[in-house]
Order: sequence, then structure tokens, then C-alpha cells
Amino acid sequence: MFKKILLATTGSPASFGAARVAFDMAKRYGSEVTIFHVVGVPTKAFSHVVNDVRTGEEVEIDEEYLAWVEEELKTTFAKQFEGADNAKIVLTTGVPAREILREARKADSDLVVMAASSGENASFHKGYPGSTLQKVAKAARCPVLSVHRESASYWGGFSNILFGTDFSKQAESAFKFALSTARELDCDLTIFHALDISGKVLDQNEIEENLIIARKRIREAYVPLMGDFKNYDIEVWEGTPYVEIVKLAREKSVDLVCLAHHTNELDPERARIGSTVEQVILRANCPVVSVSKPDKV
Amino acid sequence: MSKKILIIDDDQDIRSYLGDLFGDNGYETVMAEDGAVAMEVAENEKPDLITLDLEMPGEWGPRFYRKLSQSEELKRTPVIVISGLQANKYAIPKAIATLTKPFDAEELLRIVKDTIG
Repeated sequence: MFKKILLATTGSPASFGAARVAFDMAKRYGSEVTIFHVVGVPTKAFSHVVNDVRTGEEVEIDEEYLAWVEEELKTTFAKQFEGADNAKIVLTTGVPAREILREARKADSDLVVMAASSGENASFHKGYPGSTLQKVAKAARCPVLSVHRESASYWGGFSNILFGTDFSKQAESAFKFALSTARELDCDLTIFHALDISGKVLDQNEIEENLIIARKRIREAYVPLMGDFKNYDIEVWEGTPYVEIVKLAREKSVDLVCLAHHTNELDPERARIGSTVEQVILRANCPVVSVSKPDKV
Repeated sequence: MSKKILIIDDDQDIRSYLGDLFGDNGYETVMAEDGAVAMEVAENEKPDLITLDLEMPGEWGPRFYRKLSQSEELKRTPVIVISGLQANKYAIPKAIATLTKPFDAEELLRIVKDTIG
């Protein structure tokens, strides 16, 4: 299920966690990994002069420059390349999000792995994932796995998956992905709903009734789809959704959080990455995969 | 009876160094070279304390810890993480201590002594 992994990277330290996840997955699950790097955005259409993504300087794209960039990437990820038989580097120019999507489509990738941001302008990116991840996660046909904190860079193999649901249409795709991953890799699966009570003062009876309703809803919506898969738990907690997801993930030593884009938008084409997913990506202590489309799950 | 420490590390040098260190200070030691082997050893030997590396070729430390915490008999065994990974203190938040390689032997001994005597 992770046959082709596309690691979209700037090569900056912010993406080291993502790289470690991608390479470890490739080694563990026998995947092919493509290190995809957009060298720069052309200064004019069809121009061979680009702004280097690292330095921001204008450079002319020639073979020498490309060879240098490739060498840099090889040096940066030298440790990961050891023992990774099925790894290659692809370089291109253009707008990063668009090129990543194009490559994922062209290569028919099963998974895009990337960092939440390039790490520049850290004070801004502390609170929000970068625009490239936003765009890729929104539009990719395949699941997009992101690793933000270096601490969250995967601790060796998936064994416990947390699927967070808001009962949206998109969550169905995320659930399918979580279930098939859990089945294939023999993981435990926790199906979780966080009852959003942020900013509200609710009667405790009302909260507990809603928790019972949500539990029942999970049983009705997801349990029938699981067939003979029995390694699952159902949890429903009240609170601020992203906080509860991160807390539960930490408590249960989860190694993959699987979410759909939280949104009220029913049309998956128009749905954009929501604040819950954003915050979970930035805070979780494990990789977070966002799935919204039914393809590739 | 001396207390028993399970040392989990894929590096032979670290294993023998820790073995000598603990042995010289009156502890009994048992070893495992990765998480999968370690679970078997832990079940058989019932150690009083575990030192755990994170990155190992077979099963990584955090997966071992998850299994350990699911075992009724072993879940209260104190664990000290000893690893060279970045931000390793977040890997096993319930560990009693996290030391980064190269670590200070005195500090490790102090933690072990404070924990199991």
C-alpha cells in the first residue's frame, strides 16, 4: 500500500523528520522512494533563471547547478540513503505545490511525505503549516503524510493508528485508509471523536448524552465496515478537538494519526485543510496523514 | 539479592560498557540487542529496571515500550531511555529519565540508585 512514496523536500532541517519517516517506511515496507525537490520558482515563464529555494538568489539552471543541488541532497540525506536500494532524486523547477502534485500524479504515488513548513520564518510557521502543505494536502489524490516536529519523526514502524473523525464525507476516505493500513501492517486502530465543547458552557448531562450519541454513531458508521478486523477501540472525549487528539495520541503511544480535513464543506474538491488538522500536524508526537479523497485508499 | 537491570541496545560496545558499569556497582544485568528480543528477555527475567535505546535495526524502542506497557506484570518497570536521537525525550514521555549519548555514567548511576536502590 506504500509502494511509491514521494518525499517532497527542500532539504532544510525542517524536513529531516519527514525524510526519516519516508526512508524508514521505504526500508521497512519495501517501498520505492522519490526525493522530490523543486530547485526554484522561475523568475519568468519558461525562464531558465530561477530563485534558488534555499538562498532566494537568482541562479541559472544548467547541468552544473542541477548536479550541485543533487549532490547537496545526497550529502544531506547520506545516512538515509544507506541501505535504501529503491531511492532516486528528481529535480524540477516551478511552483512547489503545483510541481509536487504534478509529480505525484505522474508517478502515481501512493503517499506524499513532507514537512509542515520549510522552516523559514519560524515564528510565523509555529502556528500554521506552510502554504505548500496546505495546497498539496488539499488537492492531492493520495494521502499526504506530514511530520512537523523533529521529535515527531517516527519511532520505528507503525503499530498503533489513531483515526479521528468528525463524521464528514471526507472522513470516510480517511477511515478507509486507516483501516487498510491497520489491516495490512497489523496495527491497533483507535477510532476517535472529539466532542467540541470549546468556548461553550454545557450542562454535564448534555455532554455525557452527546458522548453516548457519538459513540453510537461511530459504532453504526464504522464498525460494519471493518468485517473481521477486531483490533480496534472506540474513544469519545469532550474538549477542543485538536488538543484531545494530540493528548490521546500521546497517551496511547500512537505512531500514526489519520485525519480527514475537518470541514463543513461536503464537496471534497472544495474542502480545504481545517484548523484541527493544522494544529494536530504541528503538535502531534507522531506523523499525521491527511486523507480527503477516495482515490488511493 | 542484587537488583536486575535489562540493557537494550543494538551497539555491542554500549551493552558491554553498561554491563560493566552496573556490574561494578553491584547490579545484575541481562542484555537484548533489539526490542523484539528484549520483550522475551523481560518476560523471562523480570528486570527491576530497563535501559532502552530508541533506534535499533529490528524493533525500535518505542514499540518495545508499548508492548511492555500492555503487560500487566511488566508495565510498572522503570525505563531509562539512552539514545543519540534528536529530541529523544519525547519518544517515551513516561520514561523516568532520558539520557543522550554520550551520557554521563555518574548521572546514570545516580538515577538508577534513586529508582531501585
